[in-house]
Amino acid sequence: MQAVISFGTFIQALIWSSILSLTAIGITLLYRTTRVPNFAHASFVTTGIYSSTIAWVFGFHPYWGVPLGFILSGLEAVLLFYMLEPLRRRKASIFLLMIATLSFDILMYGVLNILADILQFEFKILSRNIYFVPMDFDIAGIRGIVFISLAAFLATMVALQLLLYRTDLGVALRACMENPSLAQTLGVNVSRMLLISWFIAGATAGVAGALLPFYQMCSVYTGTYYLAEMFCASIVGGLDHLIGAPIGSFLLGFAKILLLSSLASVVGPDIINYMMIIPLGIMVITLAALPTGLAPLIMRRRGV
Amino acid sequence: MEQILEQISLFVTSFIAVYSVYLILTVSLNIQRGFAGIPQFGLVFPAAGAAYIIGNLSTRIALWVLGIKTNLDPIYESSGVIALINPVLSSQPLLSIALFILCLVIGAVIGAVLGIIQVAPAIRLRIDYLAITLLAFGEIMNVIARAYRPLIGGEYGVQVPSVFGWAGKNTIVATTVAMLIVALIIYAYAEYLGRTPMGRTMKAIRDNEVAAAALGKSLVKYRAIAIVIGSAFCGISGVLWAFFNGSVMPGQFVRFNWTFLPWLMILLGGLGNNKGALVGATTFVALDRFITYYKHEFVGILPFDVIWLYQILLGAITALILIYRPQGVLPERPYIPKDVRERVKSSIASSS
Amino acid sequence: MLRIENLNSGYGKLHVLYDVSIDCGKKEIVAVLGPNGAGKTTLLNSIFGIADIYSGSIKLDGEEISKLPPHSIARKGVAYVLQMINIFSELSVDENLRIAMAFSKDKSSDMLDYVYELFPILKERKKQRAGTLSGGERQMLAISIGLVRNPKLLLLDEPTAGLMPLYVSLITKKIGEIRDQKELSIVMVEQNVHKALEVADKVYVIVSGQVVFKGLPSELMGEREIMKLYLGMGD
Repeated sequence: MQAVISFGTFIQALIWSSILSLTAIGITLLYRTTRVPNFAHASFVTTGIYSSTIAWVFGFHPYWGVPLGFILSGLEAVLLFYMLEPLRRRKASIFLLMIATLSFDILMYGVLNILADILQFEFKILSRNIYFVPMDFDIAGIRGIVFISLAAFLATMVALQLLLYRTDLGVALRACMENPSLAQTLGVNVSRMLLISWFIAGATAGVAGALLPFYQMCSVYTGTYYLAEMFCASIVGGLDHLIGAPIGSFLLGFAKILLLSSLASVVGPDIINYMMIIPLGIMVITLAALPTGLAPLIMRRRGV
Repeated sequence: MEQILEQISLFVTSFIAVYSVYLILTVSLNIQRGFAGIPQFGLVFPAAGAAYIIGNLSTRIALWVLGIKTNLDPIYESSGVIALINPVLSSQPLLSIALFILCLVIGAVIGAVLGIIQVAPAIRLRIDYLAITLLAFGEIMNVIARAYRPLIGGEYGVQVPSVFGWAGKNTIVATTVAMLIVALIIYAYAEYLGRTPMGRTMKAIRDNEVAAAALGKSLVKYRAIAIVIGSAFCGISGVLWAFFNGSVMPGQFVRFNWTFLPWLMILLGGLGNNKGALVGATTFVALDRFITYYKHEFVGILPFDVIWLYQILLGAITALILIYRPQGVLPERPYIPKDVRERVKSSIASSS
Repeated sequence: MLRIENLNSGYGKLHVLYDVSIDCGKKEIVAVLGPNGAGKTTLLNSIFGIADIYSGSIKLDGEEISKLPPHSIARKGVAYVLQMINIFSELSVDENLRIAMAFSKDKSSDMLDYVYELFPILKERKKQRAGTLSGGERQMLAISIGLVRNPKLLLLDEPTAGLMPLYVSLITKKIGEIRDQKELSIVMVEQNVHKALEVADKVYVIVSGQVVFKGLPSELMGEREIMKLYLGMGD
């Protein structure tokens, strides 16, 4: 076992953890506000991937996919919110809510596949092999994606912190996460708070998706492929606190990349195919030992 | 004329085959969700797992049983091995059927074991954690199959012996008839299960966990039973599909077909209701087969594969059902045992 | 202050209240009594816009509120103290009150001082996490959360439910004090008939969704049938 982690591996882990955090924060946020695990998050991410693609086929640098993905995935999430509203008002069981998000995901998967087919047909690209790594810039030998993904991650965390703790809207949002019926009696428009949180969740996922092609090869299936990992990150961090999302993501991200690279030197490069198992394994262990995740441990120490 | 008959026969047999598989899947889902309230969003895991293992083992078992020796690798050179096995197998109908049944049994056991593994981490936890865990496991199965080549040769898959080769010209018909028989047996058993005290206990737990717990019914025990039975059925369905296709490949077991569609079918019929599963399965399998057979007609008209429209349509239908008729098109009627029904009838008659 | 006329309401297809009319003036406590499932909570839910209103009118200070969404009704000055899960358990007592104040139009700390005077025990436990308070203290906090927004109408859903006798008396007494010291109207749903009658100015009894009695507490005591049949008060 190497004592020193190679710089390249560290960079990989950093990029992946940042991107994963952007997705996990949305999942935790939605879970806290709407009390449902959002299976359509996969589609939000894939929409981001194809936002970069769309920017690219129209002649823009694919990094323009970031603002585009932000908006498109945000709106997509709002659409799903409107679909869930009648169910939520009826106090539908969590089952029905989960199935609803799953069916939306299936629906969007069809839509995105059609988009990919059309892009391939009209623009003659390999729309199921989206790979923008060669188009990345670099600063002092370090790829641009490192800076951009870290910046996106930090910006999101700071923005959320400011929103939630420095604005009236943020207080209302937190009250909703804590106790929606009480918040409603205090005059909070719970529906609108949920709408806002769905937009935020979609938008962050869209940004994550837009950045993914600068990290690896992507297709329509990529979002679905990583859905389990996104959930693992949220669960390991703890679904009861928003801060759990980045905590879980970085833990999982680093664990995965570091473990893979050390195992690869022992077992060989085939190990990369088993990438999925590590986050799943960690989640299983976390559920067995610490179902509420890591965040509560940290929160308690801060005396909150 | 012969061509048309052949086309019809192909359509009908593939319809029956797919229908049988979905019947079993919906029954399995009903048992897990309808009886024990488990949000099994990873139905594909036991089904695919059983299929993969049978893909791996069936050839070896056949070789051993038939006493054939060969240097060919059963996994990587499966077509060569199968070419050796099939002629011998087709002259021994009883042995073939025995092999078939053996594989079903193994598939059921594997399915059950996989189901337990899948549920174990979160069996005591809240439904949402359970759902996420089950989904996550579901996604893994294909990853493993593609990555671990000794299982079924990675991306290329393996062939499996033709256990109905003895029927000669009627092999496909024989296969589908066998599938249907197995499916109907499973359906009948599930109906029966719903009427046993155990089945009704499970439904009670689903409807009101707290009340059931207060009556001393162990949540974990009944969830486990439901998972074992349901996943065993899933395993059987995976094996049946493998034999129908004559091969096992990772690409066959996607979430859309093996998890989402069964959910849609039971939603249509109302959760917990097997009759609804019948209706749902019939409708969607018909649609699916129709599209599979006629989608080449659409090439050139649409710049995309029509199968995606199918997925969008189904996603939308599910959403609509959830919003407007979540109890399903055919809601569940609680099962009242005959003697209770008699008593109620007579007491109503005597009081009027 | 609050005038409900011929209210028919329920939840979806379930019709719960039939032609209910209720009046509550300023500085008045109206107690709503009745057996379980009669529709008492539905009444409060209807006022607050959570239940479905089929027909009838609900006027607050002359203004029709029956078609408004709950958060708008809250902002018009209606404070609804729910029966359960009515505090932010992760926050401290003080934070609970401050959050409630943050949502009110009048941001002055007058009402905050008032509730701390009314419930000195809350002042003592200012920094304590609300989830660790005892049942009675929680109810006091829940009522304070409603009060601190200086509402025109205070809706209380079984404020003494599940509390020990000491707290039942204390809270009932305090509700009376609020009526005396402030300008608001109070509609109180209660199971605890005796305590409710001690402090109420007017009583309505609802059975199976209909008002079967309206009058003074003293008048109700005389209605032996109603007391026995619906309120479980024996001879």
